Amino acid sequence: MRSASMFSYNLSLAIQSFKRAPTLYFLIMLTLSIGVGVLCANLALVNSMASNPIPEKSDTLIHISMNTWPEDNPPDEQPLYILRYRDAMKISESGIGIRSAVFYASGVYARDAESKSMKRFDSAVRATTPGFFKLSNAPFAYGSAFEKSHGMEIVIGDELNQKIFAGENSVGKVLELDGELLTIVGVLKPWTLRPLFYHATDGHAFSLTDDIYAPLETAMDLNWSIHARSSSTDNYTHVAQTRDRDVYYLQAWLELPSSNDRQALQSYLDNYSKSLKVAGQHPLAIRNELHDVTEWLVVNKVVDHKILAFTLASILFLFVCVFNASSLLLSRFHAAKFEVGLRRALGASNRHMLMQGLTESVLLGLFTGIVSLLLSWLFLKLSVSFLPDLANIAILEPKVLLLGMLIALLTSVASALYPLYRANRYTISAELK
Amino acid sequence: MLKMNNISRIYQTDTIQTHALRDFSLNVKAGEFVAVTGPSGSGKSTFLNVAGLLDNFDRGQYELDGVSVQGLKDDELSRLRNEKIGFIFQNYNLIPDYSIFDNVDMPLRYRGFNARERKRRVEEALEKVGLASRLKYLPSQLSGGQQQRVAIARALAGEPKILLADEPTGNLDSLMARQVMEILHDLNKGGATIIMVTHDPDQAREVSRNVQVIDGQLADFRIYAPLERAEGNTEKTAVVSAEVADA
Ligand SMILES: Nc1ncnc2c1ncn2[C@@H]1O[C@H](COP(=O)(O)OP(=O)(O)O)[C@@H](O)[C@H]1O
Ligand SMILES: [Mg+2]
Repeated sequence: MRSASMFSYNLSLAIQSFKRAPTLYFLIMLTLSIGVGVLCANLALVNSMASNPIPEKSDTLIHISMNTWPEDNPPDEQPLYILRYRDAMKISESGIGIRSAVFYASGVYARDAESKSMKRFDSAVRATTPGFFKLSNAPFAYGSAFEKSHGMEIVIGDELNQKIFAGENSVGKVLELDGELLTIVGVLKPWTLRPLFYHATDGHAFSLTDDIYAPLETAMDLNWSIHARSSSTDNYTHVAQTRDRDVYYLQAWLELPSSNDRQALQSYLDNYSKSLKVAGQHPLAIRNELHDVTEWLVVNKVVDHKILAFTLASILFLFVCVFNASSLLLSRFHAAKFEVGLRRALGASNRHMLMQGLTESVLLGLFTGIVSLLLSWLFLKLSVSFLPDLANIAILEPKVLLLGMLIALLTSVASALYPLYRANRYTISAELK
Repeated sequence: MLKMNNISRIYQTDTIQTHALRDFSLNVKAGEFVAVTGPSGSGKSTFLNVAGLLDNFDRGQYELDGVSVQGLKDDELSRLRNEKIGFIFQNYNLIPDYSIFDNVDMPLRYRGFNARERKRRVEEALEKVGLASRLKYLPSQLSGGQQQRVAIARALAGEPKILLADEPTGNLDSLMARQVMEILHDLNKGGATIIMVTHDPDQAREVSRNVQVIDGQLADFRIYAPLERAEGNTEKTAVVSAEVADA
């Protein structure tokens, strides 16, 4: 009761203090808000980039890179992260791991085959083996995955389902994709993977999940073109021809029972690679690389180092803002020196005065927090309008908002610490002079 | 009530050392009204500030209402200031944008009284100084004398054991000064212990005891017989004894 009434008294004193010097407090708040806002906007970017898209499996999902280039001038120094059809199939049929996914990115124009409208939607396609869905924990709203790599069946994402079927259960409906009719067997829920770990290469790390998931062999037979990197020593005119040619474009992931099983996979790949070399199919060193999700995102520099440098700069900038706010507060506290002396003369203890000062700075911190978050939202909006690539990264998640609020409170209290210390340093009689 | 024994207060600045109080000893009993006089710069305010726990001292012992103040922590000193001491300043020291009520209420806030108790005490204290009707006024809407009476009410609201006043009428014309003195005398009659710094020899003469500070020391100890205040007759004043504070 007693401390509650002291708290409400301190609160009313804080408000009174703001009213006495509104311009000054506004400046202090703005100074801190700009500092916190910039940092918070930056943290929002880092948070999106550095987050783990699939924490429950990030150390058991393994991406495979291999050295099987048939000539001694491979396009990359590192083993290639894109595989040849026959290598990828060998791995996926090896029985190692719980399941595998082999896929490439493509694109088609899609329309509801029954619709009178001829409007077609430009749709991103993942041409994949069926293991993809369980491997990536794709969330189904309706229906289920297709079970074979053949067949005229597809799974579609929520966004496309919204566009074409207004979000209704569209299982059983038929889509016309580049003139071919495929039946929907599953519809996904809204699905955000940030970063898009299964396609972290080629600048796709912050792309959205796909619109259409089609069986791999079907897509190849329909000659759906390859929309990501491919490297080859052979020519081809139809994607189906890549089955037995040296065209590298498929990515392969394996899900292992535990991260301890990597060694077995590594030996399997190395033996496979050796047998190819012995058979004279490639002249390169035996070098196959495995990366789990976390490692794969690091290898692909998903967290941009320029952004991290900017984080450091915004932290320094925040310090400057705190110093500024602190010196502004110092002048404010100097003006209030007489009242501090008077209150102490009449029986307020140093602890009372400290609590009064802290209440004021926490309240100021709350206002600062709100303004900071508005500013960081604005900064992000602005960044996206200048750099549209940031659209899927510039997102203020609740935890970033919370962190921003916390930083605002901390900086506000930090700004007040030195002025508070100064205010309580003199004898009361000196303060009253 | 108040016992000071060989108190020294030295102000140290970069270049000079000022002995504002040197071996200062004084004993004030409950119910006394003591006037402290002396030349400007002699240490009167320093004495009062030390007495009111608004300033430290460097040597000596000080006992207030049976409590030895040396070595007390800030919390304990603040509690003493809040509960036992009422301080009245020459320039009133009211907060200009606080109402009369809020000014008088301020020390009570640190006492932990509930709102009802605070209201009762504020009204009662303002009643005593004749300003009960001005609760909502701002200090600037009152005359100097009225402002000083508000400050007295603020000192009284906590029902202190001792009132310390540093030239309380120093900024007032003689009529207003008179009103303030009347109030102090009434309070003293009601049992309050008062120590008042003044440069007005008439005021010094009309109280029960007058001590002089010269160069940081008590120079002269005269205790006057209680006056018939109504006459205000200084002739009747007689030196009864000279008493040095108990060692
Ligand atoms: N805070 C201080 N710092 C330095 N010297 C001081 C301080 N306060 C008072 N003094 C000095 O101490 C002496 C006594 O001052 P004070 O007690 O205010 O005298 P009085 O009230 O009798 O006029 C003076 O010489 C004054 O200059
Ligand atoms: Mg003085």
